[in-house]
Amino acid sequence: MTKKNNLDELAIFGGTRMFETPKPTSNLVRPDLGTFLGYSKVMFDSHRYTDDGALVKQLQQRLADFHQTQYCVAFCSGFWALALAISALARPGKTEIVMPSFTYRRMADIAAWSKLKPHFCDVEESTLANSAKTVRPCLNENTALILGVHPIVNFCDINGLVGLAQEKNIPLLFDSVESVYESSAGRKIGCFGAAEIFSLGASKLVNGFEGGYLTTNDAQLAERLSMLRNSGRDGQRCEATPGGLNARLNEIHAAMALAGLDDLEHQVARNRERYQTYQRLLAPLKGIRLLEFDESHHPGYKNIVIEILDDWPLSRDDTVRILNAEMILARAYYTPPLHRKRMDYPYITAELPVTDRLAQRYILPPCGHLVSNEDIAIIVELMKFISVNAAAIQIRLQSPGSL
Amino acid sequence: MAITDLALFGAPPAFDQPLPIGQRYFPSRERYEAAFRGIFERQYYTEYGPLNRQLEQKLQQFLGVKHAICVTNETIGLMMVGDAMGLSGKVILPGFASIASAQSLRWAGLEPVFCDADPNTHHIDIDRIAALIDKGVSAIIGVHLWGGACDVQALANLAKVRGVQLYFEAAHAFGCMVDDVRIGNFGRAEVFSFHESNILNASEGGCICTNDDELAARLRTMRSSAGAGKPAEVAKTVNGRMSEAQAAIALMSLEDFSANRRNNETLYRLYATRLGNIPGLKLAQPAGVSLSNYQCVVCQVDEREYGLSCDRLIGLLKAENVETERCFYPGLHRCLPYAQQQPQRLERLPNTDSLRASCILLPVGALVSAQNIARICDILDYANRIAPSIRG
Repeated sequence: MTKKNNLDELAIFGGTRMFETPKPTSNLVRPDLGTFLGYSKVMFDSHRYTDDGALVKQLQQRLADFHQTQYCVAFCSGFWALALAISALARPGKTEIVMPSFTYRRMADIAAWSKLKPHFCDVEESTLANSAKTVRPCLNENTALILGVHPIVNFCDINGLVGLAQEKNIPLLFDSVESVYESSAGRKIGCFGAAEIFSLGASKLVNGFEGGYLTTNDAQLAERLSMLRNSGRDGQRCEATPGGLNARLNEIHAAMALAGLDDLEHQVARNRERYQTYQRLLAPLKGIRLLEFDESHHPGYKNIVIEILDDWPLSRDDTVRILNAEMILARAYYTPPLHRKRMDYPYITAELPVTDRLAQRYILPPCGHLVSNEDIAIIVELMKFISVNAAAIQIRLQSPGSL
Repeated sequence: MAITDLALFGAPPAFDQPLPIGQRYFPSRERYEAAFRGIFERQYYTEYGPLNRQLEQKLQQFLGVKHAICVTNETIGLMMVGDAMGLSGKVILPGFASIASAQSLRWAGLEPVFCDADPNTHHIDIDRIAALIDKGVSAIIGVHLWGGACDVQALANLAKVRGVQLYFEAAHAFGCMVDDVRIGNFGRAEVFSFHESNILNASEGGCICTNDDELAARLRTMRSSAGAGKPAEVAKTVNGRMSEAQAAIALMSLEDFSANRRNNETLYRLYATRLGNIPGLKLAQPAGVSLSNYQCVVCQVDEREYGLSCDRLIGLLKAENVETERCFYPGLHRCLPYAQQQPQRLERLPNTDSLRASCILLPVGALVSAQNIARICDILDYANRIAPSIRG
C-alpha cells in the first residue's frame, strides 16, 4: 500500500501496513561484499582472527588518517570504548562525570560501570547538546570528567567546552558517535578534547557489525587504552593493568569497517540525497520542521531529525505510534531523557527544563541503506494524511476499543 | 643432532613460520564466503539476528542446557553474570587462572580472593576454600582448566553448605563432559570463551549457560539486544552483543567440533607418548572429565631433572619458531592491582607459585601437524640430553 484514502486504512486502526518490511532509523549500510572478502583474505593468510591483527592495525591507521589524529584505538564496541576511556581519563579520587541527560539511553549505565556518578546537565535549545554554559553549573570539587556529546544533527559547543575544560583543568571526552564525518573550522571531529569516541555498530556511519574506536593526539593515553582493551596486557609483559578488560575488536569486524570506509564518500552522497528528499518534501508540511545540517561542516547526513511544532495537530508520541504501526520505525529522539529513567545506582540531577521540553518534540524518521527516496515520499505522504485527518484520528485514538 | 643444529646456537629455526599455541580452527574460505554472502543478503548484522538465534538453539541442544546466551566475549559474559547474580563483597577464585574472571569482578564492583591450586589437577584446591569463606564472601568462581573440569560436585556441596553462590569460567572446557553431562550445566552459570585460542572459535565471542530462567532473562535484558524476549528488571545494561559475523563462524565451528576434538586428542596422545620418555617433563592430564576436548597441552618442567629452566626452554623453543608461554604467569595474586591490595596474600599460594614457574603451554590445534609434534619432541628430547652444554 502506498497511499491511505481513509482512516480505516491506517494500520493502527486495522488497515494494511504501508510497508511489508520495516523501515528503520538504523543506517545498516552494506559495503561491497567483494571488498569485504578481499580484506578477509589477510585473515586467512595470517590465521589471525583477533588479538590486534593486521586488519585492526590497518583500520586504526585509516581512521587516524581520516580524523587527522595521531592515534586511533579500536574496541569491540563504542560502549566499552567509552567505559574504558572514562575510566582512564577520570581524575583519580573524583566521583562525578558531567553529561547531558538528553542522550544515548545507555550512557548513564556506562558511567555506572566506570564507577562514576552521572551528574546530568541541561542542553542548549539551539543544538540539543550540552555546552560550556550548561556544564559549568554542574562542576564541583568532585568532578572527574566532562563528557561532551555531539547531537545527531550538527555538533555541540566544541570551543566552549574545550575552553571550560582548560580553565578548570578537568579532562574532556567527546562522544562523537553521531559526528564521524564532520569538521569544525577546518579540523575534523576526532581531534578535540582529550579524546573522542566513535561507534562501528551496524546502525552507524561505518558498519563494522559491532565495534568502536577512540581518536586522540595523546600518545600515553593511546598506549594505555591499547593495553586496557587487551585485558591489560601489552604483548610483552604479562601484568594485568588495573581496569583492563577484553574489549578487543576482532579481525572480521575490522574487515567490514575497512570495506565501509572504502565506500564512505559514496554513502555520504546517498545519505545526502535522502536528506534532500526529506527537505524538499517536508517543506510544505505545516507543523513539522526538519533539523537542517550545517553544510559548511561537511556532515555525513546519516540520520534525519524532525521537530514537531506547536501547530502540528497530534502529539509527538501519537504520531510515532501511527507511523510504527505502518512498519515505519520512527523513534522519539532520546526519550525519556536519562534523568527521568529509573536508576539503581547513584546519580545527581537538578531541574533540566530545556531537556524536559525538548524531549517531547523530536522524531527520528527512517533513514539509511534500507530506505529509498520512494519510501521517503510515501512516508511524507502519510504524514500529510495524518495532518489533514488529525482531528478524526484523535477522536478515534481516544475512543475505547478503537485500537 | 648436534648442539649447532639448535636455532639457539645459530642453526635455521626448525619451523619456517611460528607454530601458535592456540587452537585457531577456522572454516574454509568457501564456507566463510557462503556464510557472509547470506549475511549480506539478509542485511542483518547484529542485535540478536537469525544466526545468533540459531547458534543459541544449537548450543542449548549440544550442551543439554536450558539457556545459552551468546555474548561479545567471555570477560564481558563474566561481568554480566557477576552483576546479574546480585553478588556483593568478595568472590573466591583460583590464583592459577586467566585474568578474565578477576577483571570481570573489578568491573562488577566485587573483590577477588585468590585461592591456591591443587598441585596435581591444577584446579582450585577445594580443601583450602573453606578457610577463605567469611561473611563478606558471596560467591566462588570455579575455573575449568586444560580440557578438564573442577570437582563440580564437591564445589556445589561446599557452596550449598556455606550459603554462597557458585559459577564457572569454562574457557578451556567447551564440549567436555563430567560423568557424561556437558560442562555448561554446573553451578548457577558457566561462561565459555569463543576466542580463537579455544576449540570453539568465533574469532572473539563467548556464551553464558544457565538452567536458571530468571537469571537468563536478566542476562538477555542486560546484553541489550532487540527481540530477545520480555525485558527483566536489571540494575544496568551493557553492550554484550555477539554479531551475526561472530555467530556465523561459531556455527561452523560447532559443526566441526567432533572432528577438531578428535584431531586435538590425536595430537595430545602423540605428545603424551613422546614426553613420557623425557626425564623431567610431565604432561598435564585433563582432570575430572569423562570426555575432554584436549585443547591444551601443558607441560610441567622439573628443572633439576630436565636440566634446563622453564625460561631457558621457552627461549630455546622460541628460537625454533615454536610459540610457548608460561601458564598464567605470574599468578593472579601477583598481578597489579591485587599484589598491592592484598600483599599479605602474596606468599599464601605456594602451589600456584610453583605451577606458574614450571608449566608451559605447547602448540596444539589447526596449524599443528603430527610431524610438527614429532619435531618439537625431538628438540625437547635432545635439549634434555645436552642440557649441561646448553647451560654453558
